Amino acid sequence: MALQFEVVGRFNRARASKLTLPHYVVQTPMFMPVGTQGTIKGLTNRQLEDIGCQIILGNTYHLALRPGAELIDELGGLHKFMNWKRGLLTDSGGFQMVSLLHLADITEEGVTFQSPVDGKPMLLTPEESIQIQNKIGADIIMALDDVVRTTITGPRIEEAMYRTLRWMDRCIAAHKRPDAQNLFGIVQGGLDPVLRDICVRGLVERNLPGYAIGGLAGGEDKDSFWRVVAQCTAALPEDKPRYVMGVGYPLDIVVCSALGADMYDCVYPTRTARFGTALVPEGVLKLKHNAMASDERPIDSTCSCMVCKNYTRAYIHSLVTRDAMGSQLLSYHNLSYMMRLSKDLHMSIVEGRFPEYVRGFLRTQFPKGDVPQWVCNAMEVAGIDISSCCAPVPV
Amino acid sequence: MRFVVTKPSAGAGAAGKARLGALYLGGGGAAPPIETPALVVPTRRGLPSFISRDLLDRLPYPDSLLLHLSPIHFIECPSTRTIKNIGGVHEMVGLQDHFFIASPGDSVESLPEHGGTNKIGAAFETPSGRRLINPKDYMDIISSTRPNLWASIADEVPAWVTEKRNRLSIDRTLKWLDDCLSLDQEKGASTLGAVVGGPNIEHRKKMCN
Repeated sequence: MALQFEVVGRFNRARASKLTLPHYVVQTPMFMPVGTQGTIKGLTNRQLEDIGCQIILGNTYHLALRPGAELIDELGGLHKFMNWKRGLLTDSGGFQMVSLLHLADITEEGVTFQSPVDGKPMLLTPEESIQIQNKIGADIIMALDDVVRTTITGPRIEEAMYRTLRWMDRCIAAHKRPDAQNLFGIVQGGLDPVLRDICVRGLVERNLPGYAIGGLAGGEDKDSFWRVVAQCTAALPEDKPRYVMGVGYPLDIVVCSALGADMYDCVYPTRTARFGTALVPEGVLKLKHNAMASDERPIDSTCSCMVCKNYTRAYIHSLVTRDAMGSQLLSYHNLSYMMRLSKDLHMSIVEGRFPEYVRGFLRTQFPKGDVPQWVCNAMEVAGIDISSCCAPVPV
Repeated sequence: MRFVVTKPSAGAGAAGKARLGALYLGGGGAAPPIETPALVVPTRRGLPSFISRDLLDRLPYPDSLLLHLSPIHFIECPSTRTIKNIGGVHEMVGLQDHFFIASPGDSVESLPEHGGTNKIGAAFETPSGRRLINPKDYMDIISSTRPNLWASIADEVPAWVTEKRNRLSIDRTLKWLDDCLSLDQEKGASTLGAVVGGPNIEHRKKMCN
């Protein structure tokens, strides 16, 4: 194990922690931006450090294609290659292959797909995924799992869950750098609580450095989403980090943190920035709207990021869809927002004011009191009273 | 703003040859003078491409203080009223200490198109199509953006046009300069006159005079 996990604050299921990794000490709850090709689009490392980014996620599939794992290894690993001194996490490559490649075929051996480079058949096995990730050298690496969308029903989900456990053993056996890289297992099982429970138990038996909750954020209804998260966080070890994969909506992060999750990743903040949408405490702000053309306010008056301190909505509006700088500035702001969210979650737990923080967050997002029912249900399980945020139900 | 020749060309017939200079930006800033010849950093809507203000600090100083501004970039938005309310280009792009030199054309988004230019104004090819800019429209943008220096609009023509067309470009450019100056609240204190005349050296000299 190449990490130390220390809980430094709690409120019911929610916890704040200090996670010591080989390259950096991080605070959780924590959001990790996705740097697909070894870079966050439009932002430099210095800017990422300035806004408080702790861990960046790299995609094994994309990096293996270009520039290639061998080259990265020869040049000293991804940290050195991209000159990033803080934490790195790589996923297994499985999700990209299933989601990006329509002709992917999953067998016990691995994932067979057509190379996007030359169309030749290729096979990604658990062993090869770990081998590639060992070469990339991230602080946290992910096991290759059999990912199934939660919108799918039937025996495929059970098949995928058991296969994930079998592949976990192959990943563990193939992992050559356990003293430098932390191999996380991924809980699968769809929306079936029985399958999820079997998978959690199976992974916990293997005594891994950390655990991820996978297969969510793929179109399932929100009520099912939070229930799976709640079930998994309740069953996963207290003294190991818990990572909910693919979660990036601020509301989802607040709810999952209340239920006991620690780490999150998603392309949403940066992708939505490239479409002209800014994240603000009230929700989202679409800078393309004509109303923004003459709006002289900053994107977010409560934000102290470089963009909000220097630019008006009107100026950003003139950039979006016309100039790449619009995407760049919005990406900067959106990631600043996510880093601030992470920091606020951490500090509110540490300082014993987490429920107040959650209530403030919900009041700002839902000023009319129309907090979604799934959030109310989740917060009840999390033991946080948000009745003051919700409008009374009409009699 | 003040310009000083620090090392003129040496020897007989040295007038018009290369020289070294120092550009003092003034404005109360403490920036050292910029040595000339100097490159003016191109911008798009006031910001260098892909270089936000926090990254601009990493470029060589004080040379990176010199920025080019094409007023044509603001033809569509923000409106001149909004730009004025924000406080001009320096405030709008958060580069209060930088020195903006405005001229209509650039090499990417605002290309002079002599075929579309007429007595009303100068034509430019932009990402949103061909635009005809008259002195009033141009000065509206200048007065709202408030660059440190600005060049008047000119009837720029390629070297292969006829002599008749070349003379017309000179006449129009001079007229537009007068029109711009008449609309300038500073009465030309920050104005750069544009010298045209094609390959004809005599035309160019007369225009300079």
